[in-house]
Amino acid sequence: MILVDDDRSRATSVESKLRDVGFDVLSVIPTASGLLYQMAQQEPDVVIIALDSPDRDVLESLSIASSHNPRPVVMFSESGDQGFITDAIRAGVTAYQAQDISAERVRAAIDIAVAQFSAFNNLREELDETRRQLEERKLVEKAKGLLMSVHKVDEEEAFSTLRKLAMDKNRTLGEVAKEVIDILERNPIKGQSR
Amino acid sequence: MSDVQRLSPAEKQHLSLGFLKLTDSAPLIMAQELGYYEKYGLSVDLQREVSWANVRDKLVAGVLDAAQMLSPLPLATSLGVGGMRAEVITGLALSLNGNAITVGQRLANEIVEHGGDPAAGACSTATAFKHYLDAGDRQITLASAHTFSCHTLLLRNWLRAGGIDPERDVHIIVLPPEQMVDSLARGIIDGFCVGEPWNSMAVQYGIGAVQATGYQIWNNGVEKVLGVTESWHQNHPGTHLRLRLALMETCAWLAHPFNREQTVSLLSEPQYLDLAPEVLRPALTGQFAFSKGEAEVDLPHFHVFGRFQAGFPWRSDGEWLLNQVGELMGKTLPPEDVKALVQRTFRTDLYREAARHLSLPCPSQDYKPIGEHSEAWEIEPGIELGPDLMLAC
Repeated sequence: MILVDDDRSRATSVESKLRDVGFDVLSVIPTASGLLYQMAQQEPDVVIIALDSPDRDVLESLSIASSHNPRPVVMFSESGDQGFITDAIRAGVTAYQAQDISAERVRAAIDIAVAQFSAFNNLREELDETRRQLEERKLVEKAKGLLMSVHKVDEEEAFSTLRKLAMDKNRTLGEVAKEVIDILERNPIKGQSR
Repeated sequence: MSDVQRLSPAEKQHLSLGFLKLTDSAPLIMAQELGYYEKYGLSVDLQREVSWANVRDKLVAGVLDAAQMLSPLPLATSLGVGGMRAEVITGLALSLNGNAITVGQRLANEIVEHGGDPAAGACSTATAFKHYLDAGDRQITLASAHTFSCHTLLLRNWLRAGGIDPERDVHIIVLPPEQMVDSLARGIIDGFCVGEPWNSMAVQYGIGAVQATGYQIWNNGVEKVLGVTESWHQNHPGTHLRLRLALMETCAWLAHPFNREQTVSLLSEPQYLDLAPEVLRPALTGQFAFSKGEAEVDLPHFHVFGRFQAGFPWRSDGEWLLNQVGELMGKTLPPEDVKALVQRTFRTDLYREAARHLSLPCPSQDYKPIGEHSEAWEIEPGIELGPDLMLAC
């Protein structure tokens, strides 16, 4: 089996899970690094490849040019299980198998890859969410500070102004804070004269 | 042009469209910049994809609503060759031409040595290439951007025109467009057939020289189409129509040469092609250089958008493409199967529906001759088509 993925930590985790259940991972390669050569040298039964790898068209071309390559690859969609395929695509992974390999065995490998990719996606989303919250908190603090100095109000009043604006406009606190900052920073003098 | 109020409502307003890093993704991108999606009540997320396999799979999985596709790809996908099988249709072609064949500098010099001259045309270079191959034991590897693409078909036809057997005399592999120039520079391949800007990039870096343009091999061949799955179309006929209208208006805008410079600068932006304007300019403005340091040649039809009924998904083109796909797979498809599959896939009825809304003249027939006209001609009164010759030496 060959694993193609640019994300090294994700590839490592997929690889170790595959090894745990007895799959023989011949190599783990990043994209754009001579996949054709690896295919010819290693003759893998299965290739698991990140969906965002440009090498997928290369891999699929091998299933046509079978005379050049002893290991034609065939998409696992032969099984016709649309839900399974969709899950894999949404997770960002796909796989190709040699013709004479049992679909059951390949499916077990893909399940592992899909689970690992999904876990990584979730981690990334959590990280993004944490960053977003942090960013929002910073904006709200800044907007509060501006409101306090420009409009001479206390912290509590500044915060309730922001919250009211957010509710009235049906926007998040962060969005409203950003607008307030934009307005007050662009027109500090006009703001102060009020 | 059209009365948006009269259109049936969009079943879905927010769409994800896939495109690749190519100059002929201009219709999808410029529709956004010019506000045509908005005009038709659509809001569009443009997603840059890295492979055609990805485009196909994301369409099938519903991650993308519609996408730019290589013209043979809806047919190949419906046949299930090479990858996932699914019914993909097109009701609008996005562009004609747009490809070229480039070889590395060393091979380019050999072709000149053997009497080839790109300025004298694609036959000159193909014949000289044949002489070069005959003169010794040569191992030549050429790359195409996809198995089922006009790139592969053009490359094979150029070789054949020169008397070269594409199966035995050379080795043809597939490489992603973005790896072409680098692979040529590193000597992994000797040449390639790909869309722009990758030929111009090889020329500008002095890595390769263009030996033939796609236009020279097939005048006004259908290159990219708007692909959707049959089931998506069934569920979103109103949205699909609006999307085609937005893109047809954009293609009409792109047909004006004076709009191309603006297209160059917008396409070069990071969220689109993320490449320098200089490398996008030759194909989009038609001021095309075959090799570094040589004068540019005026090729106004390098990309055809909008003109010559470029949007019409001719079933005759579809049948020609499908027969070539069959040949690549090493089998002859029965003519009645070819006809039926193309009728399901190349939806001239959907094109006509959109043309009616825009009051655009449009062919009443689905088939046209290939390889008969060396000049622009009228298939019906008011319906002007471009030349349609195929390279023969």
